[in-house]
Formats: sequence, C-alpha cells, structure tokens
Amino acid sequence: MRIACVFVPQLALQAVLRRTPDARGGPVAVLEAGGGGGKARAQGPKTKSIPRVTQVSVEAHREGVRAGMTGAQAAAVCSGLRLLTVTAADREAASAALADVGYAFAPRIERDGNGTVFERIFFDIEDLARLYPAGETAIAQAVQAAAARVGLGARVAIAASKGVARLATRGHELALVPTAPGPARAALASIPVELLADEDAALAAAFRRWGLRTAGDVAALPVDAVGLRLGPTGARACRLARGIDDEPFVPRLPEDALEEAIDLDYPVAELEPLSFLLRGLVDRALARLRGRSLACAGLTLRLALEPRGVDVRSVPIAAPTGDAATLLQLARLDLARRPPAAPIVGVRLLALPARVRATQLDILRPAGPAPDRLAATIARLAALVGPDNVGAPAAEETWREEAIAVTPFEVAPLTLTLSSTLPLRGARANGCVDPGAAGETEPRLTIRRRRPPEEIEMLLNRQGPAAFRGCETTARVLIAAGPYRLSGEWWREDGNFQRAYWDVHASDGAVYRVHQDQRDGRWYLDGYYD
Amino acid sequence: MSSRPALDPALLSHLISAQRLEDRRGRRGSGIPAIDRLLGGGWPKAALCELVGRRSSGRTAILYAALARALAAGEAAALVDVGGGLDPRRALAAGIALRRLLWVRSTVEVAAKAADLVLGAGGFDLIALDLGDARPRLPTAGWIRFKHGAEKQGTTLLVAAPARAAGSCAAAVVELGPGAPRFVADGAPLFAGLQTRAVRGRGGHEPEQQESEEARCASLAFSCRS
Repeated sequence: MRIACVFVPQLALQAVLRRTPDARGGPVAVLEAGGGGGKARAQGPKTKSIPRVTQVSVEAHREGVRAGMTGAQAAAVCSGLRLLTVTAADREAASAALADVGYAFAPRIERDGNGTVFERIFFDIEDLARLYPAGETAIAQAVQAAAARVGLGARVAIAASKGVARLATRGHELALVPTAPGPARAALASIPVELLADEDAALAAAFRRWGLRTAGDVAALPVDAVGLRLGPTGARACRLARGIDDEPFVPRLPEDALEEAIDLDYPVAELEPLSFLLRGLVDRALARLRGRSLACAGLTLRLALEPRGVDVRSVPIAAPTGDAATLLQLARLDLARRPPAAPIVGVRLLALPARVRATQLDILRPAGPAPDRLAATIARLAALVGPDNVGAPAAEETWREEAIAVTPFEVAPLTLTLSSTLPLRGARANGCVDPGAAGETEPRLTIRRRRPPEEIEMLLNRQGPAAFRGCETTARVLIAAGPYRLSGEWWREDGNFQRAYWDVHASDGAVYRVHQDQRDGRWYLDGYYD
Repeated sequence: MSSRPALDPALLSHLISAQRLEDRRGRRGSGIPAIDRLLGGGWPKAALCELVGRRSSGRTAILYAALARALAAGEAAALVDVGGGLDPRRALAAGIALRRLLWVRSTVEVAAKAADLVLGAGGFDLIALDLGDARPRLPTAGWIRFKHGAEKQGTTLLVAAPARAAGSCAAAVVELGPGAPRFVADGAPLFAGLQTRAVRGRGGHEPEQQESEEARCASLAFSCRS
C-alpha cells in the first residue's frame, strides 16, 4: 500500500489567511491569548493573559517578527505587520477543508487526531495510478494544487506507511519515499533529529548528546540497543529513520455535511455586512464541494446572537447547485424575510453535499436541459420569485377550483414504449393527451385563474348576476349560466366551502367565472375563460 | 430618379430570404391544425413568436396546446406564468403533462428576467411566457436579447400578451380577435365554448407573394368541456 500524507504547517496562520485572503503575501502574525510558550503561561492564573504572537508568515519572519512577541513588540519590529486573531471556528474550517482535499482523491481518509482540529491527513493512493500515469510526483503535485484551491499551502509525502509519510512531510515540501527499506532509509537520511523526535524534546536532546544530527545517523544505530537505552519511543524513532513503521491505517468516510464558520470580534446587525461575511463562507464551502465533484443541496445557518442565543435557519434550495451567487441570494432572501432577533457575533454555515444527477441521453429524443445548469437555473429562479413559485404544477386532492400544488421539477424521461419513438404515439404512456391525435376536434378552453379569487360587488336581478365591479373590471352581464353549486370539506371548522358558480358573458367581451360564497353571500371573481 | 441597380445573378443565387431561413430552422406543431395551417407548419423553431389576444380570445388555450404538443413529443417545456393563472385540472385536460412542465409563477416585474433565466439554461425546446393581462414595458434591447437567445438555444419562445410588444423581433405573430361565446340555450343557458378569428401578423408566408386576406386568417372554435 502507498499512503499519501498531507500536512498543513502553521495551521492557525493558514486558517486566518483563508478568512482574510487579502493579507496573503504580506507580513502577517497570529495573535493568541496565552500564546508564546512558557513565558506567558508562567505568569500565573491571576495575571492578565497578554495575547502573543504564535505563528508568523515568511515575510514577517524576514522582518524579524518571532513567536512569543506581544502585539506591540511585533508591530515595532515590522511596520506593515498585520496582526490577526485566530478563532476555533477558523481552525475547524481549515481542518475540514484539509479533509475535503483528501476526499477529492480518495473515498476514505484518516485524520491525524480525534478532534475537529487537525493539521494532517492520510489516504491511500493505490487507485490513483490510472488517473495519473505520470507517477506519484504528479499525484503529489495534484494534491498540493487541490489544497491551494481551498486556500491551504500543504506539504505532501507519499510512502509505504503512515509514520514514514508523516516524518517525510516534516522535512520536505514534497517527498516520495520508496517502499524498499534501503532506498527509504536514504530518502529520510537528511531529516534533522529534532523532526524525527517530533515534540519529544527529551528524545531529541538524547540524540544530540550522542552526537547524532540527522535521521541517517539514528538509522545507523541498532534498534534493540536504542530501545534498551531510550525506551519504546527511541526504538520507534530508530525504526522510522530506517523507513520501517507498523502504525495501522484506519480511514473513515466523510461526514454528511461540511461546515464553514466565522467568529466575529464585533456584533453585526445589518444585512449588508452579514452578506459580505456569508459570501466568504459560501465561497469556501463551494470550493470544498467542487473538490469532491459535489454541489450544495441544502444550507443551514447557525447564527450566534448577542449576548446569547442561537438562530438556526434552513435555507431551502430547489435543486443542488454550485453557484455561489445563487446560494448567497437565497440566504439573503431568507435573512431579509426573517431578520435575526439580535446582532450576530458568529456564523456557522452547514452545506449539505449532493451529486448533480447525471442523465442518460436518448438517441431518439431531444437532449433537454443539462442537469447541472438546470439545477442552478431553478435555484436562481427560486431566489427571484420565491421557492414556492418554481416547480412542476400539480392538481391538489380537493374540489376547490383554485387549488394548486407545486412539486419539485425534474426532467422526467419519457416512458419508453414500442410506439414512443413514433411521432407522439407514446404520449398517452407519459400522461399526456395527444392534442393532435383527435384531428380537427376543438381545442379546450382553460380558465386563467385569480389566486386568491378577487372579491367583487355583484348586482343581481331575477335571473341572477346583472353587473359586477371589481378592482380591474366593471361590466354588465349579458348572459349568465348557472348556478353550479359546489360544497365540500365540511369536516374542517374553518376550511369548508359552499359556493354557487356562474359563467357570465360580460359587456367587455370576456366570459368570467364567478362564485358566491353561500355562507356569507359575498361574490368572488375566479378568473376568465381563455 | 435613378433606378435600383440589378444584383449580380451569381450573388443573387447565394442570397436567402428571411422566410427561407426560418424554414431551415424548422417548425413545431402548435397542437391546433388550424394554427399549423395558418403558420405554414406551426410555430418557428429557434425564434421569438407572439400570440396576441384580449381576455376570452382563446389565447391561453392556444398556448397550452403548444405546450401539450411539445411535452407529448418528449421535449422540455417551461411556462413563465405572470400572476399564476394556471388551472392544473384544465391544463391536464388540455393534454399538458404537468409533472414534466417547469412552471414559474412570477410577477410582471420579474417575468422577463425569469424567462431570460430559463432561456439561458438551454435545452428547453419551448418556453411560454404568459403575460396575462399585463403589458410590461420591456425595452427593445430586451426583445432583441430574447430573439438572439432563442436563436442560440434553439428554443421557441412563445409570448402571449394582450397587445403586440416584440415588434420586428418576433418571427411569427398571431393576433386573435375578440371571442364570440357560444351558449347552449336549451332551457337555462350553458356555456359551451367560443369562436374566434386568428390573423397571422408575421411569419409563415413568402413576402414576395401577394396573399389573400383569407389565407392570413383562420377561424378557431374552442370547447368548454372540462
């Protein structure tokens, strides 16, 4: 088995830069309360914790900014320094984005750690050989490029085991460690003993005391003798330096929903600044989904309110889409329709992944709209006219004439029958009445309905309606046909209806459908025949 | 007064009339034989078409017949419905496979935008924009955009409106006269249907040929069976 390890160095810094991409390329330092190592922690619990620099960009390091400085010290050293604060939400989002990089290449990955924050992932690359015939170098470069697309600069190493790959990422930007022990040992030989010992300072100090400088020096020692003197950790480091590792690889499937979040230093009360924040979250979530060839099928916003409370809302999406503008517009519409009860101090965005449905084209049928473009279009239409106003219409199970239901629209394929390839012969098999099959029979009139029916004033004579007046129409009735009585839903306390319908030919030339509510005597205009 | 110079015969043989260009695109059945005859085979494909008529002129019935015909042929169709006047039961009776129809219930302000979105998605063979009683003031550039969009996507964009609006952008126009309702007067009156007269405004004839008034008109009868 060949395992790829993807490592994001300085995760806090990179997490902050994902949130503020305009700071990339300049001197940046991450400030954290209680950061800066032992000196800050040694001040005791009663001393006020001063935020200190924990991680710095290359540009800031070049200017002399170091971890452990206070913000004032760092700003004094580097005049153009941007001091940014990292939050737990930033770290979690960056870790989740790293996981998605792995899922872009493998169905299962292993995270280095059990929590929601991790800086390293592993996945099997055995199956990628056909996709990347150029070899493992091409795979490693593709992984780095995928990480760059979600805003992470990653180191990638490919080895025969997890531990060896992990060690290689500590020492190299891109490393390919051969499977055979000899070449593997040679590939790791230049790594300093501090990196071999990872965070075990005592082990690194012991190696230094023995005059060992690199992993190659450690690999030259007998494993049993090192284990006898330095314990199991020493023996393991010695085996790692030789390219030998027995750490099990336990990959996992991805979670259902992916999350992007941001914690704010100040409350946001208006829609415009909130939209600006949402734009970044949506962009980052979609970049992760695109990496897995997925689209977004649902959005859930968790808004942390000031001073306390959470506003959770689901944004309905008519069809899976990868269009950021559409998702943002839907979220904005929802927020405008139901504004949060208090200013917002944090936003968590959960995006539900879904595959855009692929369709098999029919050689004998029109191609129809492409599923992905159709999905994006339906989502945009929903944002434009409202989600309840887009879809496939359907008749409701009721006798109310004005009732209509809207169901999700899908390009349903025609039922393939033997006769369906002949012009229109398969129409009945698909729920259609062939309008041309009846030859010269008269086409049917329909009613253009008013929803809800418009209340009108009706003047009556002995025969029935004589004239009516509505907000748009005032006319005399020339001919009135009716009444046609209709009642139903008597089992409902407030929903039952008793109506007397009339078809009236009005003086404006149109034929209207009107009804009188038998319960209160009011008249309504249902629409006109057309 | 100078006479118009004659075109080079070699060049003339390469010229093609707008009508022949339309014929090359093809026609789609309207679902009503009389309309098909009037338009020379049906509504032109890949073009903007207009159906003009006042209330109770049979305009919506003609629109639904075109939708029913397209859906029955396995084509993708959409209806942008200003005001949401669709009656699902009568649409079913008219032959529309509702579950395969993309229905957009919109206001008059965003109807053109909604139609443009559907048109831009591509793959729809027929898009019906039913403006109802509304007369939106769409600028000429908007109609030109619709025309080019329909040509590019191979879509018939059929606009049903109370008055002509698309002007020369429409490849075919059918204007409907006021409908004459028919009541069965055996005892109490019963609404049975209506008759109307359709006049071809544009499309479907050779401009060089002199055409009789009768050839440009058709009588239509609609029944009210539900």
